[in-house]
Amino acid sequence: MELFDNLLLGLSTALQFNNLLYCLIGVVIGTAIGVLPGIGPIPTIALLLPFTFGLEPASSLIMLAGIFYGAQYGGSTTAILVNVPGETSSVVTCLDGHEMAKQGRAGPALAIAAISSFFAGTVATIIIAVLSLPLADLAMRFTAVEYFSLLVLGLIAAVVLAHGSVMKSLAMVFLGLLLGVIGIDVNSGAARMTFGVPSLADGLDFVPVAMGMFGLAEIIANLERPSVQRVVSQKLHDLIPSRADLKAAFPAMVRGTFLGSALGVLPGGGAALPPFSSYALEKKLAKDPSRFGKGAIEGVAGPEAANNAGAQTSFIPLLTLGIPANALMALMIGALMMQGIQPGPQVMTEQPELVWGVIASMWTGNLMLLVINLPLVGLWVSMLKIPYRLLFPAIVLFCCIGTYGISNSAFNVWLMLGCAVLGYFFIKVGVEPAPLLLGLVLGPQLEENFRRAMQLSDGDPSVFLTRPISAVLLGVVALMLIAMLSPAVLRKRKEALAE
Amino acid sequence: MNFRLMKAIAAVAALAAVSVPSVVRAQEFERPVRIVVPFAPGGTSDILARLISPKLSEAIGQPVVVENKPGAAGNIGADSVAKAKADGHTLLLMDIGSLAVAPSLFTDLTYDVQKDLAPVGMVMFGPYVLAVNPSVPAKTVPELVAYAKANPGKLAVANSGVGALNHITAVALARDLGIEWKNVPYKGGAAASRAVVSGESNVIINGSTATLPFVNNKQLTGIAVTGEKRMQALPEVETFKEAKLPLNDAGTWQGLLTTGNTPPETVARLNSELNKILAMPEIQEKIAEQGGMVRPGAPDDVKAWLDTNIKNWGGIVTASGIKPN
Repeated sequence: MELFDNLLLGLSTALQFNNLLYCLIGVVIGTAIGVLPGIGPIPTIALLLPFTFGLEPASSLIMLAGIFYGAQYGGSTTAILVNVPGETSSVVTCLDGHEMAKQGRAGPALAIAAISSFFAGTVATIIIAVLSLPLADLAMRFTAVEYFSLLVLGLIAAVVLAHGSVMKSLAMVFLGLLLGVIGIDVNSGAARMTFGVPSLADGLDFVPVAMGMFGLAEIIANLERPSVQRVVSQKLHDLIPSRADLKAAFPAMVRGTFLGSALGVLPGGGAALPPFSSYALEKKLAKDPSRFGKGAIEGVAGPEAANNAGAQTSFIPLLTLGIPANALMALMIGALMMQGIQPGPQVMTEQPELVWGVIASMWTGNLMLLVINLPLVGLWVSMLKIPYRLLFPAIVLFCCIGTYGISNSAFNVWLMLGCAVLGYFFIKVGVEPAPLLLGLVLGPQLEENFRRAMQLSDGDPSVFLTRPISAVLLGVVALMLIAMLSPAVLRKRKEALAE
Repeated sequence: MNFRLMKAIAAVAALAAVSVPSVVRAQEFERPVRIVVPFAPGGTSDILARLISPKLSEAIGQPVVVENKPGAAGNIGADSVAKAKADGHTLLLMDIGSLAVAPSLFTDLTYDVQKDLAPVGMVMFGPYVLAVNPSVPAKTVPELVAYAKANPGKLAVANSGVGALNHITAVALARDLGIEWKNVPYKGGAAASRAVVSGESNVIINGSTATLPFVNNKQLTGIAVTGEKRMQALPEVETFKEAKLPLNDAGTWQGLLTTGNTPPETVARLNSELNKILAMPEIQEKIAEQGGMVRPGAPDDVKAWLDTNIKNWGGIVTASGIKPN
């Protein structure tokens, strides 16, 4: 079969000694930058680009890809341990992962995050191998109309995401949408709410906002409490997830993997959408949704699987069409071009050993990550034994370096500090910042796609219902709204299903 | 007499004050040099900066660091170079087409393109490819114009942002050809290309790196290219000039600049190092892979280009009412 030939060709490239070595280097660097909050894969890869000149194209791409998915592994570590999302994609992991750590279950949370990521990575590798061509085709069918409907679905799911009242989370979504309006409007080019500040022209960057609201706000809140021994001393067997943990996590892992794989292929979907959607899905499916936000292991397993799967499948448009799905993939294209490879649909046929080698290396890389990360769990957990008064200045410092590094801008550091104060206020009044962040990320895309769809259809809104994919997505939204408005109906149905 | 003597002494002193330090300084770079790229990593400017930086570092004996300062259509990065110390240690590498339209596009520009920035030299020119989605039944310029006239409102040109050079080119083409098409803005050239390949929009004017692979793969139909000659990779596609279209010099003009008022000797040194680097075959090869050709020249070439195009492109911006603010 052609697929096996392709995979064999890929493995023969990926298993060459030097490629294994570069893969290892990539995932180790990736894990390290993932653990450091704010220092993301984009600046790291940009810095390393010149060093890849001398490498074989396959080796360099294997290493750079390793950095990217390695960062997804590492990013969950700080999210779980200290509630600072190391990467955008691990914001959701904070919600339940950090709760678990507070309950003294940091070990199982970290282990489950690593196992979920490995599982997702393995499945996503197979998905890429089998489905890359049809999936790329699907992605090309997504125009502004389908996008808009998908984003509406995502936002409605966000309301489901928050624990606490629907009113509060709706308010936060709208606040997020408003903040998302800041900056130069893509469709008209008009600057909105920038007050003449050039740094606001491109809108608020997600990372400083997320780090301020989650990480720093949490630190302020922690400091105000009297310094109690925050973490119960861990015994070794506590580090490993129990069989019950695994049983609870596995279905979430599977769902997260497939959801993440599907969303990762879409252009612009990037890091935020898969974990948020997976979390919302798990909460919706759970028998007892109130456990979410209080240390539910599914809330770690699902999103972690989703972000890793999404990270990998976002390579599909790049490898099959030469189209970057997000900023990071654009950087990968840069790396390819420096190697003299014109990215595009022809790469698959002209350089099969490169494409399949990179795909196969994703699996070897994931295996390495699991082997690196599981033994490290104990080490990371022992980090919690460091007195908080020593730990928090280090976290704050890394947050500042990280936010500055995003675009070498001091403005982002101030933005993060401002958001920290706002986040502290939110903790005090008891509202969840997660829906706000989703509004901030999805709002601008929602508007951009809606207006583009309208411009292209000459202002005819019926396109959203006449195009099949869009109609289905909006149908799901309608169902969700009905379910939300009548919780009794839903509960009854659930009871009926349980019997 | 006395007065005249004083004047002469003053003149000599002034001359000495100006020339002595600059002579000493001209050959010396005493700290690391930064190349500011005012866009996110991965774009053409970024790749060029990372290609040039190791060679420049060898030549001047100081580390050369590439710094991405994205934001506000390149204005944040350009502004930081404009306000840097005028000693040639802070360089700016970007598509100078953006600089040419900035004054007419942004009323509150925080720097003066012609005064606060000093051109060092042109780096490369990358021609535009005008291409359409295959669903548009046109293979040549007259066919495209005929189709546009027969089906008003059916053509939608994807551009890489309001006020981007390919937006202005599309506006100017429509005006000169007497046709109407929608201008659909996207976030960057990659998103615009994707949209035209998928058929969301159906016309694109963009750099060859972003369009060539799709034209070769028949996912886009090449209609015309800018530049003096036809493109080697697309020998059957005629140039704008052959097709009697205006704006034959539209495209990516990547240039290197530094802070305004930098001593001319320093600028001259940087220019000669840049031209030496651009003469290296390996660099020319890499730049060709970027879909461009090297454009070595004097700092004044860039200055002349900017002066002309601030008028030309800027004029189109003002006349057409493209204006974000």
